[in-house]
Amino acid sequence: MEKLSGEKNGADTKAADVLISVRNLHVRYAQREILHGINLEAHSGETVVILGGSGSGKSTLLRTMVGLEKPSGGEIWIAGKNLAVISAPDLKEIRKKMGMSFQGGALFGSMTVGENVALPLREHTKLEESTIEIMVRLKLEHVGLLGYESYMPSQLSGGMKKRAAVARALAMDPAILFFDEPSAGLDPIIAAGIDNLILQLKKAFHMTIIVVTHELASAFLIADRMILIDKGYVVAAGTPENMRDCTQPRVRQFLDRVAEPEVAGEMDYLQMLTEGTSNTEGTVEDKRGA
Amino acid sequence: MQIVARQLDQATTILDITGDINLTHSPEVRKALLRELRENLTPRVVLNLKGVNYIDSSGIASLVEGLKASRDGGSRLILFGLSPIAYEVLRLSKLVKLFEIYDTEEQALVAPQPVVEPHS
Amino acid sequence: MEIAAQIGDEVTSGLAYIGELAALGWRAAYFTFVGPFRGRPIRFRSAISQAMQVGVGALPILSLITFFIGLILALQSAYELRKFGALNYVAGAVALSMTRELGPLITAILVIGRSGSAFAAEIGTMRVTEEIDALETMAIDPVDFLVTPKFLAMIVMLPCLTIWANAMGILGGALFGVSAANFTWGRYLQASLDALYLRDITTGLIKSVMFGITITAVGCYEGLATGAGPEEVGRSTTRAVVISIFLVVMVDLVFTALFFFLGNG
Repeated sequence: MEKLSGEKNGADTKAADVLISVRNLHVRYAQREILHGINLEAHSGETVVILGGSGSGKSTLLRTMVGLEKPSGGEIWIAGKNLAVISAPDLKEIRKKMGMSFQGGALFGSMTVGENVALPLREHTKLEESTIEIMVRLKLEHVGLLGYESYMPSQLSGGMKKRAAVARALAMDPAILFFDEPSAGLDPIIAAGIDNLILQLKKAFHMTIIVVTHELASAFLIADRMILIDKGYVVAAGTPENMRDCTQPRVRQFLDRVAEPEVAGEMDYLQMLTEGTSNTEGTVEDKRGA
Repeated sequence: MQIVARQLDQATTILDITGDINLTHSPEVRKALLRELRENLTPRVVLNLKGVNYIDSSGIASLVEGLKASRDGGSRLILFGLSPIAYEVLRLSKLVKLFEIYDTEEQALVAPQPVVEPHS
Repeated sequence: MEIAAQIGDEVTSGLAYIGELAALGWRAAYFTFVGPFRGRPIRFRSAISQAMQVGVGALPILSLITFFIGLILALQSAYELRKFGALNYVAGAVALSMTRELGPLITAILVIGRSGSAFAAEIGTMRVTEEIDALETMAIDPVDFLVTPKFLAMIVMLPCLTIWANAMGILGGALFGVSAANFTWGRYLQASLDALYLRDITTGLIKSVMFGITITAVGCYEGLATGAGPEEVGRSTTRAVVISIFLVVMVDLVFTALFFFLGNG
């Protein structure tokens, strides 16, 4: 199985076409460590899917990659800069080259769809207002929402909101596009539409796309490479074919949608149910013996 | 990025553009285009994009503004020498049919004015 | 011992909180006063729409409340002054207590209820729906984008509202003076103005500016600190209101004492 990142350490991994390189990444919230040494690489123009169940840490990984969470250890190299130690002005410059589509869209409710898409352009460029307006319409055309400029986000359906959010993420012609759960909360047909959109964007703009999802069908459709994350560890990494052929139990379990095996034995289960309750006298074993 | 204006004859100006047209440089392209089309009222403005590898969406938007100005003023805006990437970006924005696009300068200069349907 | 340690902890965390507020205020001040010289224009449009909400929107209810407060003040002071046959001092008593204390304070408390809570709710909702995160990934500073216009609006509008509140309070007192104390409208207003020195008004206005800074800092801080989940928005809104009222009273105390000991009051 092809590993995305092996034991290569040193600057040689920063090859020309490696746009993103995550090395031995640790992230902790308060006392709890969420990610325990993640390695991930994305080449220019590649779509990498981060697969994982809920609570696996995949969203935390994505948030850390866009600089919303600070890593407690390891490195995140994006376009030659390490996000773990980056200065505020450098992070700002890097972020202008990244677009992020949030799970719920995260459109600004007080602005129209057009104003949402125009916001990064108005903030960061000195383009003429007429140019910006045409650009906004081009972006909305790319996501199939031309004509919706003056709608408020609350007037859009879930799928349209997500499309509008993609248009906003595309506003600055980013080199890297991040997607958090593109199909979550959408019906299958709308979700397939979003998958198609991702494929189109990849083909059209040669963008590097990082997608976090738990949807298998969608993942296999759009991915050039995937990594499977479980409980904060990378379980497997490789091409979709590699993944399909992988025999590792944890991978099979996730891909074949097997429910969590009942690892806890009867005794542990009884203990979990009764431990610390007010009537526990003696041990669980005692009770079973009685 | 550089823009050089060549006045071929009374009715034709060729703008040679070299370099990438991106967020920083597209305002210059826009200005040059609108100056030719709106102020100089040049009947035929030809854009040489042979030296342009990459056009971002602000560049495309500037071309669209130029196209609108040419239609409004009854003049022609012609593009030639698009790189495959630039052509692809135009195609994806569904703009290939709106612009007059040719491969070489000769073709661009001899091409007759196409019949434009009103409000196409 | 236990209690002493607990009090120590409370004081420390209280001071830390004030420190956080100061940091937020400082950043907003940076974007207001330093930013324009570094090529970031002030967000006037946003500040003006905030000012409309904070200021113009509060006028009707503020007028009503301060008018009645003025009337109540007149009644209360008349109760005592009547014994000395000094009813004509009612005008001065009302004018002084309005401009020096109640005008700024009542205005601040009303604005906390209307706008401080709204700031916390607005920013808190944006936190929950990942809009704040979206701003950050777009390389837009949320403090610059959201907090600075609110500071600007508050610092301008709160003194304006306070002046208006002072006037309405005096008008409320005049209603009593005219109907029960043999004043005419003109004589009552003249008596009020005679009792006031400019510093009575300016100390009140200085306080109102400080109140504005406090209310904005708390409202925005609580909004930004909102945790995950919609129910957290309600919680931070409540916290914003309670903490704002407390801190406004503290700021009031500090500045009143300051003016007193500086001999300015």
